[in-house]
Amino acid sequence: MALDLKMPILVVDDYQTMVRIIRNLLKQLGFEDVDDASDGTAALAKLKEKKYGLVISDWNMEPMTGYELLRHVRSDEALRVTPFIMVTAESKTENVIAAKKAGVNNYIVKPFNAQTLKAKIEAVCGS
Amino acid sequence: MATASAQRVRTRSRGAPIDPGGIDLPLIVRELSAVAEYVTKIKREIGALRANELYRARIPVAHDELGNVVNATQSATNTIMAAAEEILGSREEDFETYRTFVQDKVTQIFEACSFQDITGQRINKVVDELAQVEKRLSRFAEAVNLRDQAAHVDPEDAAKQARKEQLLLNGPQDAAVAVSQDDIDALFG
Repeated sequence: MALDLKMPILVVDDYQTMVRIIRNLLKQLGFEDVDDASDGTAALAKLKEKKYGLVISDWNMEPMTGYELLRHVRSDEALRVTPFIMVTAESKTENVIAAKKAGVNNYIVKPFNAQTLKAKIEAVCGS
Repeated sequence: MATASAQRVRTRSRGAPIDPGGIDLPLIVRELSAVAEYVTKIKREIGALRANELYRARIPVAHDELGNVVNATQSATNTIMAAAEEILGSREEDFETYRTFVQDKVTQIFEACSFQDITGQRINKVVDELAQVEKRLSRFAEAVNLRDQAAHVDPEDAAKQARKEQLLLNGPQDAAVAVSQDDIDALFG
């Protein structure tokens, strides 16, 4: 499945090791334009400055969670179509259902592997 | 109030001698003895709780050990990731040089993995400390027939709980109850 490898991606996670892991995996997949933010508030600021082709966000962050970020993105006219993948340790069915209702495009539970990340990116962004 | 108390004493007496003033002194003595006995028992149980030792020694040890686990894990992760990134980023073209380089980095990864043994021991120490706290608290609660006071709620804790519930901050689940990636994929069709 063809992916636009020049597509800017925003990784949102408060745990720098996870940011580093996702950045490395995206680099291995060939993505070159990857930014990161440490919570929903910082992510929203970046989303308003630059047009991203994909947001990959953790759920549990302070002060703004990934779930709140998702709802902000979906309620903002300029951002609402931005593809959004949740990558999180929140592994209760109610979390997955809530995220789906809020408009998430896909959901990955930690720990995950490169194949899963690649498959979800292809499913969400592939043409 | 004194009159009501005296009346209660008179009502509850069971044929015990009542003094000319209408006060059942033996009953009062028995009840005061029971109260004194209970207070002594509570003091003994509070002593057995050794709250100062928990507060000054065991809890700080658990706190420090968990902090050390976090630091050791982070340090090991950084070392492993740095080695892996160097391998991935290598542009070495000479095979022997590249092999030596990779072997060196893999050795660093193995060395960093030794953190698991140490963190395992540290976590076992924390588990032991918590078991002691649990044992003493449950013994105390049982001894004094303690019940949780629903009326007292720490506002800070209540606000945290409310936020957790509202934003579904459930955290990682046990493998037995956690939803699998396959189940999630099925939900997304």
